Amino acid sequence: MEIPTETQPEVEILNKLMKKALVSFVLAGVAFALYRSFALMPAYQGLNLGLSNYIIESGLKDTGSLNLITAVLYDYRAFDSLGESTVIFGAVSGIVLILSRKMLPVSSKGLSFIVKRTLGIMTPFIALFGLYIMSHGHLTPGGGFQGGVILAAISIIFSIVYGSAFDYRRYSPQTKTALETGGALTFLGLGLAGILMEGAFLQNLGFLTAETGTLISAGSIPYINIGVGFKVGAGLAIIFYSMIQKTFEEDF
Amino acid sequence: MFNNLIFIILFMLGFYALIMKTNLIKNVIGLNIMEAAVFFWVISFSDVGGEVSIHKLGEEVTKFNDPVPQALTLTGIVIGASTAALLLTLIIELNKFSGTIDREKIEGLND
Repeated sequence: MEIPTETQPEVEILNKLMKKALVSFVLAGVAFALYRSFALMPAYQGLNLGLSNYIIESGLKDTGSLNLITAVLYDYRAFDSLGESTVIFGAVSGIVLILSRKMLPVSSKGLSFIVKRTLGIMTPFIALFGLYIMSHGHLTPGGGFQGGVILAAISIIFSIVYGSAFDYRRYSPQTKTALETGGALTFLGLGLAGILMEGAFLQNLGFLTAETGTLISAGSIPYINIGVGFKVGAGLAIIFYSMIQKTFEEDF
Repeated sequence: MFNNLIFIILFMLGFYALIMKTNLIKNVIGLNIMEAAVFFWVISFSDVGGEVSIHKLGEEVTKFNDPVPQALTLTGIVIGASTAALLLTLIIELNKFSGTIDREKIEGLND
């Protein structure tokens, strides 16, 4: 006995509709349950009232950093930030390992002359902005991760505007790897210096503290920020260039 | 509360994309929407109506927002970006070997 082939698509569409309806129904039920349980929650009073109040009251005195979020990230929870940058390092290593190809990137010629000249004028200012965000992490919003992303954006804009071979020739992957490793080693070195000078891993270096609000203050926080910034910027650039490597041969 | 409602809508939207869409890149997008929902929720519930938790020189601020959830969210964003990059890399490799990124059309996985 043969099933007529005309009804087959209809059955499939119906099947899919049933599946969608069922999943939507279940998700709506879960959403309703979540909403009801949110209504039972007490109002927020501080994640941990003692801890938050302590950081707000004496964070500036302890670390010398005006930005309390940076104080939490690179002083109170600096060890956690070290783990976080290790996660980026692991992701970059995995991506480079999976997508490794020995291939010289050859690509299109990029965009027009006007765009190239305009970017040539703008690039120093973008880099300056990235470095500013990185080095003023303890005074204004920003920090190593944010500034590093801006530096990586320069590399990505280069590959779009000047063609993907330009950035590869100017800053070879070896340079980027060296920058990334150097940032990670800066972080670790400051941690070891904390052991030697102050007695605990990643303890804020007291002898570097200066008047609050100046650029070189807050102990080792600005240096950690700069190291993390170069590490993140180089890491993201490496990820980007690993991912577009396949399009290199296709473009040509 | 309004932020709870938006969190639930965003989270369920991401979860729906994660389980119903067969395109793997759309699954990664769904995962990122779920992450964004959680970050939004953590930041919004820790907002107690104070200032951004950055001291200003020569100014005394009496009420700050809690800096701890914001620092935790920064950590989460970085981890999320790393995992998304690794997932997309694996999808690129999968596309190279099987020629598709539709999870129902990959040979050897279905039936």
